[in-house]
Amino acid sequence: MKIKRLIAAGLTATMVVGMLTACGGGSSDDGGSKKKGDALTVAIWDTNQQAGLQEIIDEFTAETGVKAELQVLDWSAYWTLLEAGATGGDMPDVFWMHSNEAVKYMSNDILLDLTDYVSKSEKLEMDKFPQDLKDMYTWKDKVYAVPKDRDTIAMWYNKKMFDEAKIDYPDGSWTWDEFYEIAEKLTKDDGSQFGFAAQPSNEQDTWMNMVYSMGGTIVTDDNKSGFDDPNTIKAMEFLDKCVKNVMPDSNTMSETGTDVLFQSGKVAMISQGSWMVAGFKDNDYLVENADVARLPKDATTGRSVSLYNGLGWAASAGTGMPDEAFQLIEWFGSKDMQLKQAELGVTMAAYDGVSDAWVNNTDVFHLQPYLDAMDDTVFRPHTNSTLAWWNPMCEELVKVWNNEEKMADACKNITSMMNEKISEESY
Amino acid sequence: MANPKKGTSQERNEFVWGWIFILPTMIGLIVLNIYPIFKTIYESFFKTGDFGKGNIFIGAENYTKMFGDGEVWQALINTFKYAIVEVPFSIIISLVLAVLLNRKMKGRAVYRTIFFLPMVAAPAAIAMVWRWLFNAEFGLLNHILGTKTNWVSNPKIAIFAIAVIGIWSIIGYNMVLFISGLQEIPGDYYEAASIDGATGIKQFWHITCPLLSPTIFFVMITRVIGGLQVFDLIYMVIDRNNPALKKTQSLVYLFYQNSFVENNKGYGSTIVVLLLAIIMVITVFQMWGQKKWVHYS
Repeated sequence: MKIKRLIAAGLTATMVVGMLTACGGGSSDDGGSKKKGDALTVAIWDTNQQAGLQEIIDEFTAETGVKAELQVLDWSAYWTLLEAGATGGDMPDVFWMHSNEAVKYMSNDILLDLTDYVSKSEKLEMDKFPQDLKDMYTWKDKVYAVPKDRDTIAMWYNKKMFDEAKIDYPDGSWTWDEFYEIAEKLTKDDGSQFGFAAQPSNEQDTWMNMVYSMGGTIVTDDNKSGFDDPNTIKAMEFLDKCVKNVMPDSNTMSETGTDVLFQSGKVAMISQGSWMVAGFKDNDYLVENADVARLPKDATTGRSVSLYNGLGWAASAGTGMPDEAFQLIEWFGSKDMQLKQAELGVTMAAYDGVSDAWVNNTDVFHLQPYLDAMDDTVFRPHTNSTLAWWNPMCEELVKVWNNEEKMADACKNITSMMNEKISEESY
Repeated sequence: MANPKKGTSQERNEFVWGWIFILPTMIGLIVLNIYPIFKTIYESFFKTGDFGKGNIFIGAENYTKMFGDGEVWQALINTFKYAIVEVPFSIIISLVLAVLLNRKMKGRAVYRTIFFLPMVAAPAAIAMVWRWLFNAEFGLLNHILGTKTNWVSNPKIAIFAIAVIGIWSIIGYNMVLFISGLQEIPGDYYEAASIDGATGIKQFWHITCPLLSPTIFFVMITRVIGGLQVFDLIYMVIDRNNPALKKTQSLVYLFYQNSFVENNKGYGSTIVVLLLAIIMVITVFQMWGQKKWVHYS
């Protein structure tokens, strides 16, 4: 009996070690085994959009008779699943693409080539989508995804706190310096309330907008790091001033999250993307107390820049139902469904001119600033393998947030790190 | 199993059926464990391409890089810190609980269920609940203690806070193993000891401990391995912006980051091979050390 247990212990030990390494690799190739009549699998990562997209898919099924199943994962599980699926040959049929990952998937022939489908399609009006977004999902003149949505950034503020401090609500004509003064006034000495909150990972929705407004850049036109540009450094120093003086300490922000701090009345303003609206309008506290203003301008350049990004609908190259998969993508990209997506408040539409419907999807917030932000937008900075430098960039900034490094030094380090990673890009 | 050529037909029959019965386990072990181990070791010598295509052989370059990588060594220290706290505490607490719950008492089943409950809950759910208990701003723990401690974002204590979650979630499982071990100890020993005048504490040290030592040994080996492989708690509790990240990320966390986030599977494999080597050395050491304290009757 005891000997057996010993053997069991040994076996378990090997097994547990094995289980760990099981994640390491391995590939098989069973390909798309779907036939006509099966349901398409559709994968997305945002629960806030689930209900609206389900409605659009239901209509698709009613119209065409093609069934589709919607799967929702969280962001990181989504990419793990997609990559494992791409390696092993068992991917969802239709799914979202993001600018971080698009090149990797397109250049390895993982995505279904939609070029012919798109050019023959009667429903799609590709000229109605933003050019940057189409370029993002085109690789070597082949189209791999149809734009799904676009987003912009605006400033959320807590009306109650503004009233209390007798400050007028921002009307969108403010400058970053005025914004800072307001944030300072709204920061209480006892630590019960702060003017602003942002973390290193709030790049697209917060600090990169400052950089572009102040005339800086993240990636230069000749594909180098923009962190040595004096205007970028100026913006980053401004950000550093905000971190040091008008924000909760980095421990609090990382433990609780800036959106939760805003929702619980700890923070007076946060800068957030239009994709958060769907979640915010379900929050009672925000419905009562919050509203939206356009991002501040820079006094020197006079610009209020909002970054924008957009997802694309792509299909797996190995799908067994390519025609049906494209039918669904075409459905999502058609004017009617783009309009419907906006009306349901899922997200702003990629299709030009229908986002007014999105502004009116709710009357609890004034969403017009998000639409106004379209006047001056910059596409989310990217290179061919964005992720290789994006995460180290945020990690370097964590040190600044923790007072372990000066912002000027962080900018220097990021510059050399980015230039090194970009030069290593293999595409 | 005897050599079938020399045996009777019955022996041959048993030989064949023996293999058929262990075949499913063998296949599972080979496909899911043994093959991936070698594949991982193999990949650690490559600069891996996307989706398993275009791997370039680079010899020991990943290893040279790893031995000079301060992040890996820090992760190793973090992993050890976690294991050193989690393993002894989870064993001692669950042993005490097992002894207490092995008596005839009211509500025994209820207590056993309560302590085992964390084992049934999903680790991700456990981590989320504890994340909010530990929250410096709104957390229950700071509320009760009246402090403002940053339990999970202070680099000095965060790894220990995570170890507390680890202990809490594993004691139920250890306890069940100990209870089953305790029930194998014949009651006569305790009776005889009582007649000779041994107190409860003395009985614990001189009867329970030696006779339970094989179970303790088993739990210790599996917990050391489990502790060194900690990942999900850290992944769920420590956010990427967390100032304590560098002082809490474990080797498996680093492996995950490299392999699946930064898409550098070669380097990720190298890190996990290091962990494999460390676990093997420690396990061999424990197997050797058991002769000194584990009693098989």
